[in-house]
Amino acid sequence: MTDTQWPRYEVFVQERPGRPHQHAGSVHAPDPEMALLNARDVFVRRPECAGLWVAPATAVHGGSAEELPQLLAAPRSQGGSPSNEYLVFAKLEERGTLTHVGEVRAAGREAALAAAQEAAGNRPPLALWVIPAERVERSLPEEAASMFDPSRHKPFRNQAFYHIQTALQRLRRDPSLIANRQSPEARR
Amino acid sequence: MTDDERLAHFEARIARGEKIEPGDWMPDEYRRQLIRMISQHAHSEIVGMLPEGGWITMAPSLRRKLVLVAKVQDEGGHGQYLYHAAETLGISRQEMIEALHSGKAKYSSIFNYPATSWADIGVIGWFVDGAAILNQTMLARSSYGPYARAMVRISAEESFHNKQGIEIVLALVQGTPAQQAMAQDAVDRWWWPTLMMFGPHDSESPNTPALVRWGIKTRTNDDLRQEFVNQTVPQAQAMGLTLPDHELHFDKSTGNWRFGEIDWAEFWRVVGGDGPCNRERLQARRAAHDDGLWVRQALAAYAART
Repeated sequence: MTDTQWPRYEVFVQERPGRPHQHAGSVHAPDPEMALLNARDVFVRRPECAGLWVAPATAVHGGSAEELPQLLAAPRSQGGSPSNEYLVFAKLEERGTLTHVGEVRAAGREAALAAAQEAAGNRPPLALWVIPAERVERSLPEEAASMFDPSRHKPFRNQAFYHIQTALQRLRRDPSLIANRQSPEARR
Repeated sequence: MTDDERLAHFEARIARGEKIEPGDWMPDEYRRQLIRMISQHAHSEIVGMLPEGGWITMAPSLRRKLVLVAKVQDEGGHGQYLYHAAETLGISRQEMIEALHSGKAKYSSIFNYPATSWADIGVIGWFVDGAAILNQTMLARSSYGPYARAMVRISAEESFHNKQGIEIVLALVQGTPAQQAMAQDAVDRWWWPTLMMFGPHDSESPNTPALVRWGIKTRTNDDLRQEFVNQTVPQAQAMGLTLPDHELHFDKSTGNWRFGEIDWAEFWRVVGGDGPCNRERLQARRAAHDDGLWVRQALAAYAART
């Protein structure tokens, strides 16, 4: 209890309404609700967020393209309902990140991963995750204002707020603006 | 596959510009170097909050205070992004934080210098963040996916850190003689430690060849340091500030500003723990960790309720 570990939650950020959620990183938290709040504090200091999901790292099944053949060959867990819903996240571009691409229904995580791989078709993902839908904690639309609006009122976090080049050019054109300027020679 | 074949496959992937993802095979040395670099980088963000954090309550206007709070808050967030990136390599956050608090882990030496005047807050943004952004822009192209992605995010967010610093210095150099002197004094104190931030000369940097070959770094310390000097000298000239180096001159043949030798004895002394603020910084981090214990306990108790 004195440590800083707590369970790790993977964080997915939706930058604009209608865009897919994308993996941004992770946070540690004692429960899903705190994970969502920590994720807001860590990943949403800028306005580019319309929705936030977190899921316990232990609920993630999958891995990189190198790991997938072995994961797909593993024996499947028994007894789950074939209608269990899993969210699918795939990394499709070298410079991209894991992105929500859809859902599959399967009796267990191994079957879900296989279904997700099959759905990818002839475009094999560079990394692939499935997460049971019930394990994903999502920000609620009615909470969006209190969760995300504070970041909209901080224009000073944007570099365009500062007009440095203009100010430097002005000084270059008119050095008298630095009225009490000492020449380098005078300093020596 | 033998380890040699795995290594050849791994190096071919990097040569093709592919990103290495958690779970992919990687040489132990690649993993070790990444953990070292990323955790040092994370610690630097966290310790980096301290010199500036002390000035939040003394900021000269509400606007400056809002900006400084936002910047320090970013640094805390960036530390978290980076701890996450390191965790994907198999080290725990607990291990990293213990290594920092015990003094075993390093962080950027620049944060072992004190911020003694308001002008320091301007010059830290101008110099220290300017230097950090060059390094981070390079690391955004790193071969390790989670590190590169953290750096893309951090680089985008940090560009205002540099600009707000220059804005502070611009205000001071157009102010009273006392304000101008304050700006010059801060420049005098921060210039050399900033040049040291890029690390030892390439010839003295044992890690560099492996880091470059594996695409962790794509440029060398000396190369980045030269770009920093080239971009900063004209800014200082425009602001009427003198950089404290009598050997500084423009070399027409290379287009570079040549500068004098860095005091490496000072660099190694501060890295070794004997800088002006090393003890104070670690004490502050340990105290923050210990003082936060009751919050962690309260959250754990709340989570355990049934």
